[in-house]
Amino acid sequence: MGRWLAKVAPGGIVLVLLLWGIEEAVDAGLVKRSLMPAPTDIGRILWELFVDGQVAGPLAETLARLGIGFAIGATLAVIMGLAMGYWPRVYGLFEPLIELLRPIPKAALVPPLVLFLGVGDAMKITSIALAVFFPVLINTVQGARGVDPVLIDTARTLGVRPLPLLRKIILPASAPFVFAGIRLSIALGLILAVISEMIAGTGGVGFLIIDMQRAFRVRQMYAWIVILAVVGYLLNLLILAAERRFLFWYQATERT
Amino acid sequence: MLGRRSGLLLIAILLLSWEMTSRTGLVTSENWPPVSAILAGLVHETLYGDLVQVIGATLSRFALGYVIGICAGVIVGFTFALVPFVRRMFEPIIELLRPIPAPALVPPLVLFLGVDDLMKVTIIAVTAFFPVAINTMQGASGVEPIYLAVARTFRTGPTRVLMKIIMPGTLPYVLAGMRISLALALVVTVVSEMIAGASGVGYYLVLMQYAVRSADMYAAIFVIAALGFALNAAFLAAERRLIFWYAPVP
Repeated sequence: MGRWLAKVAPGGIVLVLLLWGIEEAVDAGLVKRSLMPAPTDIGRILWELFVDGQVAGPLAETLARLGIGFAIGATLAVIMGLAMGYWPRVYGLFEPLIELLRPIPKAALVPPLVLFLGVGDAMKITSIALAVFFPVLINTVQGARGVDPVLIDTARTLGVRPLPLLRKIILPASAPFVFAGIRLSIALGLILAVISEMIAGTGGVGFLIIDMQRAFRVRQMYAWIVILAVVGYLLNLLILAAERRFLFWYQATERT
Repeated sequence: MLGRRSGLLLIAILLLSWEMTSRTGLVTSENWPPVSAILAGLVHETLYGDLVQVIGATLSRFALGYVIGICAGVIVGFTFALVPFVRRMFEPIIELLRPIPAPALVPPLVLFLGVDDLMKVTIIAVTAFFPVAINTMQGASGVEPIYLAVARTFRTGPTRVLMKIIMPGTLPYVLAGMRISLALALVVTVVSEMIAGASGVGYYLVLMQYAVRSADMYAAIFVIAALGFALNAAFLAAERRLIFWYAPVP
């Protein structure tokens, strides 16, 4: 207990001091309230939002879009990645196209998607799926190509057909890479969810943040940013927990 | 390699079908301009329009924010690695700020700093800061203990240890962080111009979307992709020159 306290204390103290400093500065009129409200004010708004149940709606909207987009993008990426990793012909066929499309910031694809799909959920889910697709694909390909050839050869010798081979050997063997890709893609997917809601939204956390800013309801804006940050943090924890569950058997072969 | 040729062929076929479906009227939509029109518009805008200034505006913002961000990242990274107490003091705050998606920082920064370049440069710097800081910290803390032990055997002073052992050893990590920051900073530059801009490629992109000038809009996307590609290639070239000696320890 003492060790944990010693580790957490310096950071915690600085954080508390920072918040207290902001509070005092705002109270003393050093910082305009319209720019940076007192942390206690933000806290109160947060509390009200939770108590009134106003958090659930927009949060659910954003998370639903993120979830669907992620499911579509990740599934397609894993399937394609495994195929590309296993069959060199497939890899050669698609790799230049992927390398061409990858550097395009997916946020830049939002305007054309708006023209094609309007400002509804379809546009947002598509842009999220696109953002999720590439990191997962690249990591899956890397993982699949790096599978120990001995494993593959043994399976082939034992007469395993390609599809079960992919599912039972290559997929688990590439799982660490796939999870790394998933972790990255969740962050990107969240960013794109927020962007698409900011640029062309009618609901959701991203839209609320920019809406509150335009309406100069600053405390609400900061409250929603805090909510967004917490969501991002929790999602990351979730992935890490899933990773620990699925990869308990994996030990990084590189140890210094 | 036969494999790659098929891939390039695929790209050619896709581009061709895009061109043809648009020209022959198979797909009649304003959002589906022929590729040739996009390229023609691109050339036209570059020569007669202000595309060069637009790109210049974006690049200057990007460069300024990027340099500030990575410098701050390197300094903080080294400080954290060499003075663990400072790290314990400030790491929680940084860990709290890191998960905030960059576009969510745009509205508050707009309130503080307006919609001008200062806001964009700030957010670019903040975005570039994190990967470099984390990588630098990791690199500086992870210097091969053998080197440090040898230095201690030879009674090397702390300054020399820093300059000759820790810094070169950290350099590959710093460069890796800088490469990640490069991509992120470019994205954030474009996004900030899209959300709250008045100049630059991102703003141009959204403007073309509103005006339903789809050929120019796709041209903007090409430009952004080309920028990302060029910056990355330039960075890799510089990296290869700087750390030709580096081989990752297995």
